[in-house]
Amino acid sequence: MTLLPPATDSREDVIVRVERSRRRRRRPTVGGVIVDTVLVIFGILMLSPLVWLIVQSLTEAEFAFAAPPNWLPVPFTFDNFADVFEYMPFFQQFGNSLLLAVISTAGALFFSVLAAYAFARIDFRGSRTLLVLMLSALMVPGQLVIIPIFILMRQLGLVDTLASLWLPALINVFQIFFLSQYFKTIPRELDEAARLDGAGHLWILFRMLVPLSAPAVAALAILGFEASWNGYFGPLIFLSSPENMTLPLGLVTLQNGFGAAPAVIVFAAITMVVVPLLVVFLAFQRQIVESVASTGLKG
Amino acid sequence: MSSTTITRVRRPGAALQRRRTALAGWLFVSPAMLLFLVFVAGPFVFAIALAFLKWDMLTTPEFVGIQNFATLFSDPILPQVLLNTFVFAFASIVTHLVLGLLLALAVNRVASRAIGYFARVAIFFPFLISWAAVALLWKYVLDPTFGYVAQYLAGIGIEIPNFFADPAWAMPAIIFIDLWHTVGFTFIIMLAGLQTVPSELVEAARTDGATSWQIFWNVTLPLMSPTMFFATIITFIGAFQIFDPIQIITRGGPQNSTTTIIMYLYEKGFQAFDMGYAAAVALLVFLIIMGVTVLQFIGRRKWVHES
Repeated sequence: MTLLPPATDSREDVIVRVERSRRRRRRPTVGGVIVDTVLVIFGILMLSPLVWLIVQSLTEAEFAFAAPPNWLPVPFTFDNFADVFEYMPFFQQFGNSLLLAVISTAGALFFSVLAAYAFARIDFRGSRTLLVLMLSALMVPGQLVIIPIFILMRQLGLVDTLASLWLPALINVFQIFFLSQYFKTIPRELDEAARLDGAGHLWILFRMLVPLSAPAVAALAILGFEASWNGYFGPLIFLSSPENMTLPLGLVTLQNGFGAAPAVIVFAAITMVVVPLLVVFLAFQRQIVESVASTGLKG
Repeated sequence: MSSTTITRVRRPGAALQRRRTALAGWLFVSPAMLLFLVFVAGPFVFAIALAFLKWDMLTTPEFVGIQNFATLFSDPILPQVLLNTFVFAFASIVTHLVLGLLLALAVNRVASRAIGYFARVAIFFPFLISWAAVALLWKYVLDPTFGYVAQYLAGIGIEIPNFFADPAWAMPAIIFIDLWHTVGFTFIIMLAGLQTVPSELVEAARTDGATSWQIFWNVTLPLMSPTMFFATIITFIGAFQIFDPIQIITRGGPQNSTTTIIMYLYEKGFQAFDMGYAAAVALLVFLIIMGVTVLQFIGRRKWVHES
């Protein structure tokens, strides 16, 4: 129970009280122990499907999916992983996913940076109207524009190529808006100083503003890469041959397509997607979490 | 480039300078503007036009006036589809916000660094996995014979339904899987929001004798309301467009019990190749998302605390 505050608060009283409450928070309380325990149990439950996934993929096929559930890979084998390559061109699809994510992310950021600079730093007629027009497109669901884009790609003969996916990804209105807002927080006097030294727009943008905006650019890059790497709707509509597919579509096809693979092999393939992701996440946990928290963008 | 320096030395007139600036502005914005016209604005206008056509992408398009919009009102499946979508979106908002906030509050007060780290990783990591992998995995986790959920529950005498084959259970199962996959996002947003609540305010309330419950209700929650508002809008927009797990796990079944609006759009446009009607459905999605977002912004004045 907290002591009632005295009628008059002297500075010392306040300090003593704050100190006391701080000490009390550090001491483990019953409530604190309960919260810790609940969190640990919750965390284990959250991770349990992933543990189960990895264990099954490392277990010999006829012993996997046993009842009661096995939480250790006994008898242990790597065969399921080797078999994945007989059912899907895994590395080809991994390469497709990587290529698509890199081109989409780098390309979109490049064009977004250029446009954001114009909106943040150059006063030209019509810029506000153009920005508002672009921002209103944020409300347009991707599924509305994908129908005409599909028709366009068919005309261009680009269906079932990666280009049908990265070309539309080069424009990212959210990135333009986010970056121009970020650029505006950087004092304009820096531009003036650089200009007096003879710097042009490109130098100011790429040698000064972009490096100064590194956290924002990195956050957008992480999110853009994640969205492209995990995308399913676009690949489902545009890609049809296994050798052109990205990993998410390849995984689903592995399970649904003609000559669907046995469950352990599907699990091995999922594991081959999830484990590298986990390694990347643990290595860059802080950056990834911060990029999601700072932009609040849902993948 | 060299001509630029020469004219600068000559100190051109203000009008020329302004035209030069305008030119630079348009040059910088033109690649994005061109891409915007080709891949956003153009397709948007085209989609509206498409909604007045009947076209299977093979034969010649035929102008049918407002017939596609009229079909929206007489479509016997659409009410069910809209209901499914709103049920999913509502359940998604409630479960994500409540669980996300509770988890953020818990992690925020954890004393042990190790437990805090473990909890953050365990809660957030599923969000980074592609829906494709998540959906395939959960199809097995919830399987009535192979899944460990069924196996453990059978051990204590509970028989689980065949979730994805039962019209009453398929949607709740999808909602649950979505919670597992996406709660990490809400959790991170809430955790970031909690860190903006000044600890002096909480300390001051505590020293004044407020209980933890009173502090939560009168200090933390009002200060968190902008974050909660943001999370509500983002969750709604995302949930209303749910597609991946449904296409992968149930394909809208059984008996259309999990057909959401985007799944329906996909069926109409890319399986039945009724492009005109698909465009009309897509326009409906656009109007609903815009309408609900506007409503939420009107409601914002009522329940969001502005500092």
